Amino acid sequence: MSMLLEVTHLTKSFGSFTAVDDLSFSVKEGEVYGFLGQNGAGKSTTIRMILSLIRPTGGSINIFGMSIEKEREKILHQVGAVVEKPDLYRYMTGYENLNVFAKLSNKKIARAELMKCLELVGLDKRAKDPVRVYSQGMKQRLGIAVALVHNPSLIILDEPTNGLDPQGIADVRNLILMLSKEQGKTLLVSSHLLSEMEQVADSMVIINKGKKLVEGKVNALLNPDKVQLEIITDNNMLAKQLIANSAWSKGLRNAPDQKILVDTSADAVPILSRYLVEHNIGIFSLRSMNSLEAYFLSLTSGNEV
Amino acid sequence: MKFSNIVHIELYKIFRKPRTYIAFGAIAAIVGLIQLGFYADGESYMKFGMQSLSDSFDVNGNIMNGYLMAFIILQTLLVHVPLLIALVAGDMISGEANQGTLRLLLTKPVSRANLIIGKFIASAIYTIVLLLWMAVWALAISIMIFGADDMLILKSDMVTQILASDVMWRYVAAFGFAALAMLTVSSLSFFLSLFAENSIGPIMATMSIIIVFTILNTLDLPIFNAVKPYLFTSHMLGWKGFFDVTVNESNEQIVGSIENLPAVLFSAGILVLHVIGFLLASVIVFKRKDIMS
Repeated sequence: MSMLLEVTHLTKSFGSFTAVDDLSFSVKEGEVYGFLGQNGAGKSTTIRMILSLIRPTGGSINIFGMSIEKEREKILHQVGAVVEKPDLYRYMTGYENLNVFAKLSNKKIARAELMKCLELVGLDKRAKDPVRVYSQGMKQRLGIAVALVHNPSLIILDEPTNGLDPQGIADVRNLILMLSKEQGKTLLVSSHLLSEMEQVADSMVIINKGKKLVEGKVNALLNPDKVQLEIITDNNMLAKQLIANSAWSKGLRNAPDQKILVDTSADAVPILSRYLVEHNIGIFSLRSMNSLEAYFLSLTSGNEV
Repeated sequence: MKFSNIVHIELYKIFRKPRTYIAFGAIAAIVGLIQLGFYADGESYMKFGMQSLSDSFDVNGNIMNGYLMAFIILQTLLVHVPLLIALVAGDMISGEANQGTLRLLLTKPVSRANLIIGKFIASAIYTIVLLLWMAVWALAISIMIFGADDMLILKSDMVTQILASDVMWRYVAAFGFAALAMLTVSSLSFFLSLFAENSIGPIMATMSIIIVFTILNTLDLPIFNAVKPYLFTSHMLGWKGFFDVTVNESNEQIVGSIENLPAVLFSAGILVLHVIGFLLASVIVFKRKDIMS
């Protein structure tokens, strides 16, 4: 598979604040690429630079082998995107919104095709309703329809499940998978939720404070054999002491007093819990996270890994 | 993409917005009220106005006709139309930024220069349509109600009489000039809308600039005299020049004449330069603008 999107040493500064710092990653043709980071990590700024909405301070972006700076319009013919929340014309109907953006895509798109696009996101029955009466989920789906209307090869979705209910999240997830598996589209999907990315992405990059932390195939990053345990007991001090004096001592990590964090193998989880119970420790909660989730959570809580 | 497509889309957006029709409604209401007022009390009003002339002139015919009404309406209303123009032009970019649709627009394969020029043309068309609407109400409906005759214009030191057969082209030219003046306001408001994320700012800024410039015009201070000829507000009432006629030795109007055509053309030139300047500045700023909304 060839590289469809290549971001190289991308930097964006606003005065003295660096929002994106020397970021590099690449997206292969046909894959769903997860772009993961906390809120404010620099995901939307990066996506805006990829779409040429804002100018980078440094670095380069190539899409389909062309520089976005030099070949913006040529590239955007093959790109569909929703950046942050999909804001649409509230005084128009869903169909009218789609029609307006379809015309801007410089392709003659028949009414039947527009309706098909609305059907794809489950809005064909609400096509004549004004957008101002749409729910957040419906607006999100209409935004995706706007991104898809000109049949682009690369689809960029910035936090597509934000503000959606569980059913809406599942619908968007299924849509992403369908676009990738059935239509062979390449997708760059940003999110601040690892669990979302795990379910749809083939590869991903995690960024924090504008910098790349890790990039790779999701399967490789999510090592199922290694887990991090988060344990809350009736006597955390004693439990920590017991673990420190056991075979798990190497895996014991710094954590606030209210909980204990231990890196271990998945097989060892029942043995460790039995060990604590046998030493009269009452366990209130024992949560097993895979290594990447733990890594990501440590970032969001501000702890060093 | 086809340029006409962008203009078409932008016009569609303008005329789908309810706020667009505020201006049309306001003009119809104000003009209608003025016409109603003159229809009810016009004769006594005209008698009062003609009092000083009745000793020197024998005035016959329908003085309070549609042509005079249109002149009164234009003079009264054109001062307030900039606000109605700014209502739409000031919303062209800032409104999209406020709604968040600007970023979605710019993810489509349309060049920034084409988009901004397309939007500019659409707002210019709106301005012209609004002036046409005003012309229909102020002129056509006034003629229907009050009829047509020679036009008498009372000035502080003289009375100008324009033959009925020589009036209509002057109105066409005057409305054309007024459209150019409003286009200048529209382009200023459009330019200001690039820097705001809601339309209140550009509308207020446009009106503030017009008020400040108008005050500068009225101040007879040497420090401001050098800039006055180049302020667009000094030329916005240049349409009146089309109703200043030249007379021959027998004090009769020369049909088709304009007393000071160079002054009218100079005013038009200054306005055109402002429109071009604001458009060019808008293109340059928009091409470099980071879309953060």
